[in-house]
This record gives sequence, structure tokens and C-alpha cells, in this order.
Amino acid sequence: MRIVVLIKQVPDMNTVKIDRATGKPTLDGQRVVSSFDEYAIEAGLRLKEQHEGEVTVICAGPPSVKDAITRALAMGVDNAVQIALPNANDIDTLTLATVLVVEIGKLEPDVVLTGQNSDDYQTGHLGPQLAELLGIPHLSSVTRIDGGDSEFSVQRDTEDGKQVVTVSTPLLLMAMTGLNEPRLPSIKGMMAAKRKPVEQVTADLPSAAPSLSWSEPFVPERTVTGTVVQGVAASEAATQLVTWLKEQKLL
Amino acid sequence: MGKGTGILVVAEVGEDGLRTGSLELLTVGRSLAEAMGGELTVVVPGAEVVEAARTVAASGADRVLVVDDERLASFTSGAWTAVVVHAVAETNPAALLIPGTTSGRDYAPRLAARLRLGLAADCVDLAVEDGALVATRPILGGRVQTVVRFEGDGPWIATVRPGSFERAKPTGEEAEIVSLTVELGDDDLKVRVVETLHEDTGGKRLDNAERIVAGGRGLKEPDRFNLVEDLARALNASVGASRAVVDAGWRPHHEQVGQTGQTVAPRLYVAVGISGAVQHLVGMQGADYIVAINRDPDAPIFKIASFGIVGDLFEVVPAVIEEINAARA
Ligand SMILES: Cc1cc2nc3c(=O)[nH]c(=O)nc-3n(C[C@H](O)[C@H](O)[C@H](O)COP(=O)(O)OP(=O)(O)OC[C@H]3O[C@@H](n4cnc5c(N)ncnc54)[C@H](O)[C@@H]3O)c2cc1C
Ligand SMILES: Nc1ncnc2c1ncn2[C@@H]1O[C@H](COP(=O)(O)O)[C@@H](O)[C@H]1O
Repeated sequence: MRIVVLIKQVPDMNTVKIDRATGKPTLDGQRVVSSFDEYAIEAGLRLKEQHEGEVTVICAGPPSVKDAITRALAMGVDNAVQIALPNANDIDTLTLATVLVVEIGKLEPDVVLTGQNSDDYQTGHLGPQLAELLGIPHLSSVTRIDGGDSEFSVQRDTEDGKQVVTVSTPLLLMAMTGLNEPRLPSIKGMMAAKRKPVEQVTADLPSAAPSLSWSEPFVPERTVTGTVVQGVAASEAATQLVTWLKEQKLL
Repeated sequence: MGKGTGILVVAEVGEDGLRTGSLELLTVGRSLAEAMGGELTVVVPGAEVVEAARTVAASGADRVLVVDDERLASFTSGAWTAVVVHAVAETNPAALLIPGTTSGRDYAPRLAARLRLGLAADCVDLAVEDGALVATRPILGGRVQTVVRFEGDGPWIATVRPGSFERAKPTGEEAEIVSLTVELGDDDLKVRVVETLHEDTGGKRLDNAERIVAGGRGLKEPDRFNLVEDLARALNASVGASRAVVDAGWRPHHEQVGQTGQTVAPRLYVAVGISGAVQHLVGMQGADYIVAINRDPDAPIFKIASFGIVGDLFEVVPAVIEEINAARA
């Protein structure tokens, strides 16, 4: 089975701080593999363990993405394609999908895995857009993958409950929390990662005029200021809350 | 296709009827239609969706297109993409608004790729500037926003986060309802839906809930969650949970509120022993009133609470239940 996993390198969300003076987030802390992509990597590795085959990761971004790729290789991925792109967040998702699909297509995958959405820009666009450009079906919010060589039974989270579907390869799956528990790279894996092949590619950006542009990230001003009751007995706090609920016509 | 006019909204019908996010899109769709000129058209895809279509027709739409097809009984990306592509061709709108639900977020990017159009995800505000659509969307877990400007001819597409706008109310007028037939080919139906599993039949659904009482790790043990259930009962509310307690197996996943759970927009949201991590806040900050009970005065939940109590939930919650029952008696 040919498995391709798309991963994005993002700022570690725990290191993102807001500079109150400028109203801007600081994004220059540590960079990590986007959290849902770890589930995608794990799912790829498990598919390989069940069906044999090869797992390739693809990551587009600045030179620093090498670290994200190394982590995936250390987890057990076989090889990687690194696409040089100064800043993946400067181009719209459809343009990025157009770039990525060239490299994915060359690998003729049976299964493509992405994260449900990236931790930083959180669009969740890339999976469905890649699937459309590849001409294959996709499933989002995937929490379970069962199945044979070419027919899969997949569960996805929806507002109505867990939807169970069947679908044949080739297909694209978007990994969601609950799908699995991603493994940690072992020491042996980290050593092996150094010797695994990483193909370097430069992106050919299409020249078509963009259909969107966006502002620098900013922190919205807070509008709600509420009442906080502190340092009083529970019964007194309860009385104040119930009075307030009545005032708001919530009781 | 050339520059279009008017606004096309896609309504969503779940197992328990029209999703309220659809009515929110009618509100913003109406104001955009007024700002940009043109009609507000709503397309209602699904199986047996006549009743939902009537609600939409009575809530401020100029025209309603119904695509009623038994193959649309359960959501699949392929079928929905085909239906909405057809509706776009039929109406040539300036902008297309799609609910930012799991389904909407699933097919909108596929549709945008098929039509090579720009798409803004999970928008919390939409406006018109110099004739163009401008969308505000949260990024980086919700603490930060970016403003997206659309260029070119469009149609411009946005998925809209549930809870971002008021729900449209009945206007006293009824728009025309037109039935639309869409050809669905094998390529649109590659995914076969077997069933939808409902984890728990006892609990009330969250996405349309008017009131929610949610509990977090502050409850300490699964057994103590009965405090949350009791408070929910006293307030006639549904029960929600943070991911911490869902991951711990105390509560089923469909009760989880937040980035990887449900986005809810009730009138009242009571957070009991929930710290208010950004991933939780993004799922409930659209609530009209937020009440927080937490012993840590620095818990982030207090930053968005309309009414907060700093105290031990094991003392405060029983006192509140008692007080509510006394007020009712
Ligand atoms: C990719 C990703 C997605 C996520 N998605 C979600 C999501 O969808 N939903 C979600 O909720 N989380 C989500 N999380 C997790 C989130 O970051 C938090 O870990 C989680 O919300 C914390 O849950 P909690 O508030 O119940 O627990 P904690 O953060 O542990 O908070 C417990 C609170 O209880 C208070 N407390 C303790 N004892 C008492 C007492 N006796 N009386 C009063 N108060 C007390 C404490 O002061 C504390 O504030 C996600 C995380 C990631 C990385
Ligand atoms: N620069 C990138 N390189 C490779 N894969 C990416 C990149 N950006 C996003 N992806 C994949 O697309 C998914 C969704 O990202 P997004 O559409 O940005 O929310 C991610 O979880 C990754 O699997």
C-alpha cells in the first residue's frame, strides 16, 4: 500500500504569547509538527503495519521544516519530500494544494492522510482541496479506520453522531483527535531517521491572481466584562447568581 | 460566469431538523444582500426537508431552492459538492455562505477547488468594504484573528462559525419555494453511508441547546459529575463537558465542547470546574451569557464570563441548586 502523509510545521501553540502593547502574537518560539498531523502520521504507520507498503511524508515550508520531517522519519515513516516554500501561510490554500498535488501525484498513493486542520491557520481546507485536485474522495473528522486492502470502513464525527461509511482506495483521510495515540520517536528511530532519504523540491508557484489576501494576525479587543464574586460564602454567592439569572430573565 | 449578484446561503438540516446555524446565515445573508444589492436565495439540500424549507422561507429569504433527494439522507462530501455547485450555477451569486459545521467545513473546500474560487474558513464576522466581501476569522486557537479580503469576480465563499450571528426570526412573509433536481453521478457517490451511531440516547443534543451546564476536571471524579447533571436539571439545561473529562472516559464524546468537539451557542452556558483553555473557549464563546464556577481566580474562563463565582464547586453548586429550587417554589 502506498501511503502519503501531509504534515505542516507550526509554532508550538504553548509558546505563542500575546504582546499586549502591539496587540500581536509572538510566533518565533519553538516549531513543531501540527497536532492533528501526528495522528495522521500514526494512522499511516498503522496502515503500513497492517497492509505492508511504504509511508512517505510531504512537507512544504522554509528550511526549518526539516525538523518536522525528521520527527516523522523518527516515528517510523520511510522517506520524505521537502518542498521549499518561504512561508506556507503567505499563499492561499488552493494555491498550496496545487503545489502539493504535483508531488503527491507522482507517488500514486492508495491512501493520502492529512490533519483535520492546522494548529495555526486552522482552515481545514487542504485535505478536501487536495482530494478534489487528485480526483479522489475524502473523509473529514476521521476517528476510526478499519479495513481491507482496497475497501475501508471509516468512522467520522458529525453533529448527529458517528457516521460509518465505506469507501474504496484511492482516498484521502483527514485525521481527528480520538483516531489514535501517536507514538513517540524512539532513540533507534531517531538514529535511523538520519539515514532515510529526503527528496528536496522547489515549488513552482502558479502566477494566477490570488482570490484572497489577509491581514497580519491581531488580537481582538475584549468587549465583555462580567461580574466576579469572590471571597464570600457559597450560599451568598449562590444567592447573587440566582438574582442575576432572574435579572437576565434566565430563570 | 462573470460577476454575480445577490447572496446564496446553504441551509443545513440535521437529524433533528433545521440547524440553527442556517437561521444565523439568513441574518448575515440579508444584511450582505442589502449592502451589495441583489436577492437572498437559500438552498436546502437533504431528504424530506420540506418543513425546514418552509421555516427558511418564512425567515427572510427572497427565494428558496429545495433539493430533496433520498440519496441526501446522510451527508457525503461528493453529493453536497455537486448539489451546491449546481445551485451556484443556477443563481450566480456574489457570495456563497455555508454553515461552519462539520459538514460545511468538509465540502466547502472541495467546492472551492472545483470552481477555483477563494474561500475563507470559519468566519465570525462578514462585512462589505468597497463592494468586496471582508471576513474576520479566528486563528492560532482562537486568541488571534485575521481579516480576509476577497478579490476578483467571485463568487466569494465563506464558512461561518455557528453562534456568530443572531438567528433570523419569522418575518410574516413566505418566500417562493422552488424544487431543484440535481443529477448525481457515480463520481459524486463514491462514499457509501452505512449508518450513524448515536453513542448515548439519554442525553439532550448540544448543538441546538438553549442552555448548557458543562463540567471539567475540577469535578475530580466521574461520580461527582452528578453535580453537573443536577444543576443542569435545575436549570432545564443539557450537559456538556471539557475534553479533559471526555478523554478520561467520564463523558461521551458528543458532549465535548470545543475545537475538537461541538461548537455551541446557547443563551446560557455554565462552566463548572473548567479552566477555559482556548480550545474550549472557541467552542462556547458564542453563548449569550456565560457563568463560571472555579476556585482559581486566574482561570482564563473568568475573562469571558458574564457572571463568575470564585469558590469551591463542591460547596457552590449544591448551594446554587438549592437557591434555584427555592426561587421556583
Ligand atoms: C488540538 C487540541 C484540541 C483540543 N480540543 C479541545 C476541545 O474541543 N474541548 C476542550 O474542552 N478542550 C480541548 N483541548 C484541551 C484543552 O487544551 C484543555 O486541556 C481542556 O479544555 C482542559 O479541561 P478542563 O478545563 O476540564 O481541565 P483543567 O484545565 O484541568 O481545569 C480544571 C479547572 O477546575 C478548577 N477546579 C479544580 N478543583 C475545583 C474545585 N473544587 N472547585 C472549583 N474549581 C475547581 C481548576 O481551578 C481548573 O481551572 C484541546 C487541546 C488540543 C491540543
Ligand atoms: N505546508 C504544508 N505542507 C504539507 N502539508 C500541509 C501544509 N499545510 C497544511 N498541510 C496539511 O493540510 C492539513 C490541513 O491544514 P490547513 O488546511 O492549513 O488547516 C494539515 O493538517 C496538513 O496535513
